[in-house]
Amino acid sequence: MRLLLFFTAFLISNSAFSQNYYLYVAAESDDMVSLLRFDGSELIEEERFEVGVMPTEIEGPHGITVDPNGKYWYLSLAHGSPYGTLTKYSTETNKPISSTKLGLFPATMQISEATGLLYCVNFNLHGEMKPSTVSVVDPEIMVEIKQITTGAMPHGSRISSDGLYQYSVAMMSGELFEIDAISLKVKRKLNLEKMNMMSSGNHQMNGNHSMKMSHSMVQPTWVIPHPSKKIAYVAGNGSNEIIEVNLDDWVISKRINVGKGPYNVEISPNGKYLVATLKGEGSTGIWDLEDLTKNKVLKNTTMVSHGIAISSDSKYAFISVEGIGGEPGKVDVIDLKNMYLKSSVDVGKQAGGIAFWKISD
Amino acid sequence: MKNYILQILFLTISLTGFSQTKTIESDLMDLKMNVGDTFTPSSYVMSSDGSTTSCDNMIYYNKQGVFSTAKSIQVDNESGKIIANQPGLHEVVAVCITEGGKRFSRTFVVDVQFPAVKEIKISLDSDKVYEGTYIPISYEVIDEMGFVRENVNFSIKSSNSNLVVDDVNNIKAVKSGNVTLNATYEGITGTLNLDVLKNPVEYIELSSNADQARTGDVIQLKAEAYNKKGQVLSNIPFEFSFKGKSFDKSNTASGLIMNDGRFVADVSGNYLVTASLGNVSVSKALNIYERNVKRDVVKVGTGLVNDKHTSDFWVFEGVDGRDYAVTGTWGADGTSYFWDVTDPSNILKIDSVQVDARTVNDVKVSEDGKIAIISREGASNRKNGIIIIDVTNPRDVKIISEYTKNLTGGVHNLFIYQDHVYALSAGQKYYILNIEDPVNPIEVGMFELGKEGQAIHDVWIEDGIAYSSNWRDGVYMVDVGNGIAGGSPSNPVAFGNYNYASGAHHATYPFKSKSTGKFYTVLGDEIFPNGIDVNAPNETAGFLHFVDFTDVDNPVEIARYELPGHGSHNYWIEDDILYVAMYSGGVRVVDISGDLMGDLYKQGREIGYILPGDKDGYIPFATMSWGAQLYKGHVFYSDWNSGIGAAKVMPVKPDNSKVNQYLN
Repeated sequence: MRLLLFFTAFLISNSAFSQNYYLYVAAESDDMVSLLRFDGSELIEEERFEVGVMPTEIEGPHGITVDPNGKYWYLSLAHGSPYGTLTKYSTETNKPISSTKLGLFPATMQISEATGLLYCVNFNLHGEMKPSTVSVVDPEIMVEIKQITTGAMPHGSRISSDGLYQYSVAMMSGELFEIDAISLKVKRKLNLEKMNMMSSGNHQMNGNHSMKMSHSMVQPTWVIPHPSKKIAYVAGNGSNEIIEVNLDDWVISKRINVGKGPYNVEISPNGKYLVATLKGEGSTGIWDLEDLTKNKVLKNTTMVSHGIAISSDSKYAFISVEGIGGEPGKVDVIDLKNMYLKSSVDVGKQAGGIAFWKISD
Repeated sequence: MKNYILQILFLTISLTGFSQTKTIESDLMDLKMNVGDTFTPSSYVMSSDGSTTSCDNMIYYNKQGVFSTAKSIQVDNESGKIIANQPGLHEVVAVCITEGGKRFSRTFVVDVQFPAVKEIKISLDSDKVYEGTYIPISYEVIDEMGFVRENVNFSIKSSNSNLVVDDVNNIKAVKSGNVTLNATYEGITGTLNLDVLKNPVEYIELSSNADQARTGDVIQLKAEAYNKKGQVLSNIPFEFSFKGKSFDKSNTASGLIMNDGRFVADVSGNYLVTASLGNVSVSKALNIYERNVKRDVVKVGTGLVNDKHTSDFWVFEGVDGRDYAVTGTWGADGTSYFWDVTDPSNILKIDSVQVDARTVNDVKVSEDGKIAIISREGASNRKNGIIIIDVTNPRDVKIISEYTKNLTGGVHNLFIYQDHVYALSAGQKYYILNIEDPVNPIEVGMFELGKEGQAIHDVWIEDGIAYSSNWRDGVYMVDVGNGIAGGSPSNPVAFGNYNYASGAHHATYPFKSKSTGKFYTVLGDEIFPNGIDVNAPNETAGFLHFVDFTDVDNPVEIARYELPGHGSHNYWIEDDILYVAMYSGGVRVVDISGDLMGDLYKQGREIGYILPGDKDGYIPFATMSWGAQLYKGHVFYSDWNSGIGAAKVMPVKPDNSKVNQYLN
């Protein structure tokens, strides 16, 4: 009996040590996606595969997400002629299954566990400063079922933990949008500018969304709702701050000054850690949400820090870092509890969209 | 044991209960609507045991998606209200979302019925109908709401035996006299009264501008009909046809003959061309010989780039009178290379610049050899734009300025012409910059199609006309200083357009034929049928479309150059010779002299080719030719995997084979 207990304990401990973390990262200037595995100490590129259809055109894979059941991953290709594309891949084979056209420069996306629908912002990064849209896609048959007009340069599509609301920010109009994930309508929008902060003119939107546009000073690039509290955090890329929004009252409750150019921001599934990439300084900040004074900024292994994927057990944050010119992109692993850089691996050029897939033996 | 069986039974029952299937039931089932109708569905969920529940969260949508092609019906996502805009069968999806994210969906076919047919128009595509000929007829079916019905299967009947209608509705006039043709569909009949004329032709004389020719030469046939009195008959709708026998017994004679009497043969052999009207015909024999334009094309020199992909290039004469080239790089580190190509057999890399980009897709040099412009994609600050470079000393080039305004989406292609830069913006439009002061470029104009979903791939300027290649919208000819339409760089005015079905229009080269004086635009496809592999050879497709633009208002596509198994990329035309980079097919040199008609490759017009793939290339031995340029007698080219190179088309060798002894 003692032998059996010992053997069981050995198996449990052994399996704990052999846990592997899998994730996908897109390389925007290489038209590549890498499948990465982290074994708790070393991050390894398991496989790298080409995406897109035109070898001599850079199609720019930008956003990537894995569906809640882990069977498929989805990739947005920013550049088309002119519309971008969303492609569905099997996680089993990493082969494309089907595609659908979206809007201009489709970027970040996520699937709602409540509706099963995919919500992808059409960033229209290089277009005119006019309201763009959030595309809603039925990923089962890959049909874009609606484009919901929001603000100028929408980015950072994230879904509330109950799956009922989609949040995004409009980078150039400086707004936070809340979309009802079922009615597919904008429910609320919030001006994120500080008082008198807009660069010029008024900032008004009428019923049909025609807008007198002025450039945001906050330039929000990301929003993440808290997994268990009615709070969301917004990355103020232009104002170098993280903005806390009270979702009950729909007001800004706090502005936290951070380093240069916060770009993506995520919260660990256990709600304990806030992680933000500081694009302008090539570093990543980590905050303990229970005590914001407990924080640390870690230098990334190259410049232009971009995306964040946090493991489902809230232990590790995986950071994509673009690099410059011909440099390879990087993915850095951060141990969240101890707030230190644990490993790093080279991937394709301009590593951006990153998505956690699974923990597996 | 008994307990065990009971447990199994219980488990089975419970599992059955849990696996009970649910479906959406809706009055969308078998729904028929008329154009203009609205319908709001009522839907519910039915379990396999027959119980029903309502669905609190139902989403409806048109399965065609949200693009303009899907506006045939509009579906409100929340209420499911449908507005029927166009007739046809449409699919509406209903998705029920239940608690916990479980969802089930069902697709319903909605039949928006065609309005009743109101009118059938029949028209005759010929002035006269003669006994013994097939009748060219056009039909148009218009319904009560003005929609034109496509692919209608008529019932066609003749009022008497003067016409015979076969099973697939071909109509032949067999006897002279009056007759009425009736085309009936859905109870509506359109009629056409015809007078079938007795065939007045007693005999036909057929002549041609040549009795023997080479493959690819367009022969003009002339048919003249005469009556019994030997008088010439005018306006006779001759039917031209041909048959032939190849000299090569294992080959098939082939060619193309048009209703205006032009004939071209692809293969050498004996041909018989025929002109006929009804049962009167005459034939004429033509001997067609090999075009015999083959020449050796030899590689002269290479400037190898094998640590990154090479993109476009430009060869130019420097201010010092020597010859230079600039090449871009693709998916790399933003480097452009400068080369001394004065001796094409000894191409020397002499300088480089590196800018913040991953791809320098295009490079061009000003007419005076002083300014180079390079495009940027993948800049780390995402501002991209263009870089202007002083190349007065190509051994020590210097960046003059960077220009990014309105070009942040990446510049894929650009052109320089008379102190102006034409730079593509985010693949949607092009901006025109005045660079008289290259330190301070000034935006002076912009051209876009102004269409939803507008897209552009390239722009090329010649004689004050900008030729933009706009994918599915084809070529646009824009006056930017020529004067033909009153345009200028600050006021670009479009005056010509041609597009074609594949929608893959990628590059344009204007071409005035020296031998015929005709003006063409040569439009190139870019197609990758099987997607990509950047580390292995790729399959490419597509071809060059030759469009006769002599009449700008009525362009006519008249010929193609299609290399089987290889797709087209960039090209150059000089002295009626085409130099074309055919990606995996290498650099091809093609004789495009004389009238052009049909399939130029099949006609043996290819003079020669080289495959630049190099054993030391980025991908060893893999040819992926990007562009070609004839410069001072050498064919320069860039290749994705091997850099820049030069080739020479060798002189014609003396022909001792006597194959062409019958030709002048």
